[in-house]
Amino acid sequence: MLLDYIDFIVQSFVTTLIMTFLGLSGGLVLGILSALGDVYGNRFIRIIIGAYVEFFRGSPLIVQLLLFYFSFPVLTGIKWDSFTAGAVTLMLNSGAYQKGYFKGAIEAVSKDQLLAARSLGMTSGQILRHIVLPQAFRIVIPSWTNEYVSLGLSTSALTVIGLRELTTISKSIAAQTFEPLEVYSLTGLIYLTWISISIKILNYIYSRVKIPGLEISVGAVPS
Amino acid sequence: MSVLECVDLKKSYGRLQVLKGINFEIKRGEKKVIIGPSGSGKSTFLRIMGFLEPPTEGRIFFKGEDVYASRLNLNLIRSKIGFVFQEPSLFRHLTCLENVKIGLKCVLKMRDKEATEKAIEALKAVKMEEWADYYPAQLSGGQQQRVGIARALARDPEILLFDEPTASLDVELTWEVIDVMRDLARRGVTMLIVTHEIAFAKEVADEILFMNSGRIIESGPPEQILTNPRTPRVKEFLKRLVGGT
Repeated sequence: MLLDYIDFIVQSFVTTLIMTFLGLSGGLVLGILSALGDVYGNRFIRIIIGAYVEFFRGSPLIVQLLLFYFSFPVLTGIKWDSFTAGAVTLMLNSGAYQKGYFKGAIEAVSKDQLLAARSLGMTSGQILRHIVLPQAFRIVIPSWTNEYVSLGLSTSALTVIGLRELTTISKSIAAQTFEPLEVYSLTGLIYLTWISISIKILNYIYSRVKIPGLEISVGAVPS
Repeated sequence: MSVLECVDLKKSYGRLQVLKGINFEIKRGEKKVIIGPSGSGKSTFLRIMGFLEPPTEGRIFFKGEDVYASRLNLNLIRSKIGFVFQEPSLFRHLTCLENVKIGLKCVLKMRDKEATEKAIEALKAVKMEEWADYYPAQLSGGQQQRVGIARALARDPEILLFDEPTASLDVELTWEVIDVMRDLARRGVTMLIVTHEIAFAKEVADEILFMNSGRIIESGPPEQILTNPRTPRVKEFLKRLVGGT
């Protein structure tokens, strides 16, 4: 009976949520820093960021997970568990995508506003803090919602390193109960419900912080 | 006393020389208007005089001090100059009031209450106080431009620089902005204005300067420049401008 496994399912879903949260928040920091580095940094910084983004956007997440979990310890001698390896990989992966979204949002803040801020005597730091970032954060929300969905669902790839998240646990339960139809239907339904609710919440947040005239720039998201 | 002065000012972008040696001075309370064809370097000149771009050669004095030679703090100087741009360049995530306040708080370190009072006063001067809580995108181009003027005006600058503030507006909106500028001129604000509004220039300018391919080729009181220019280039320009082509 599927109900006997409900504890496992809930626990594994919590793990999925935690991995999504870690990946997105780590990726947020990495993404903003890389975007700033790419827009304002020198050639050297831009090359490093370019290589980083290229690698994580240009290879499958599953391969990245395998590399980090199995190959990294061979290379460095440092052993880590699937939770740490998975979290780090998700952060780096999401950071590479979020960099693109944030770069687009930062560049969507028009140049004449920057010049106007300069003419008021504001320093570069003040311009970034008071003019660029407050607008970029609002502009980025719709693309960030996509990243949330994409990364949240991609956590199922963690099953290749054996992390006990929702997909891994579903596989075990299906194997034990011989009820793949019921088990995987339930799994799919959990993902679907979670993501639908999340999108609703993020859209609500966007509608609350949205400012007249700022939503125009949405959609321009170069890499 | 001179507010801004430049000596043999030159500016190049790569091999393209945009300004070819300009000498200019504006004293407190004076209103000077720069006219001239597109691409003559008017905007570049204004941006350099507003310390938004460094010159390639030459010296610029702000109230008698050589700004670049004495390595003065540029942000401090900028905070004493008001700049109004061609495109309404309001901060789009801030209301009109916040747009005017931000410089007062960030740069001049005013307290919130004082900044609000100052900002309201400036918005009143451009007749926009009723729109204080609106966002830029909710206003017409002319209204945005007036808020831009309030933003430049609020910190009691030594001089206001206008870079074709009406160029992107239609006729009616142009007049509401011109009215505000005329008002400021009457109040004795020092102003350096790049514009194509000849009637306005004639009315307020102490001196009109004509710029052509990186040089000031003629300057003088409005009556002389507008009705009896010495150089054929100015004559031709004015004829076309009045002709409306």
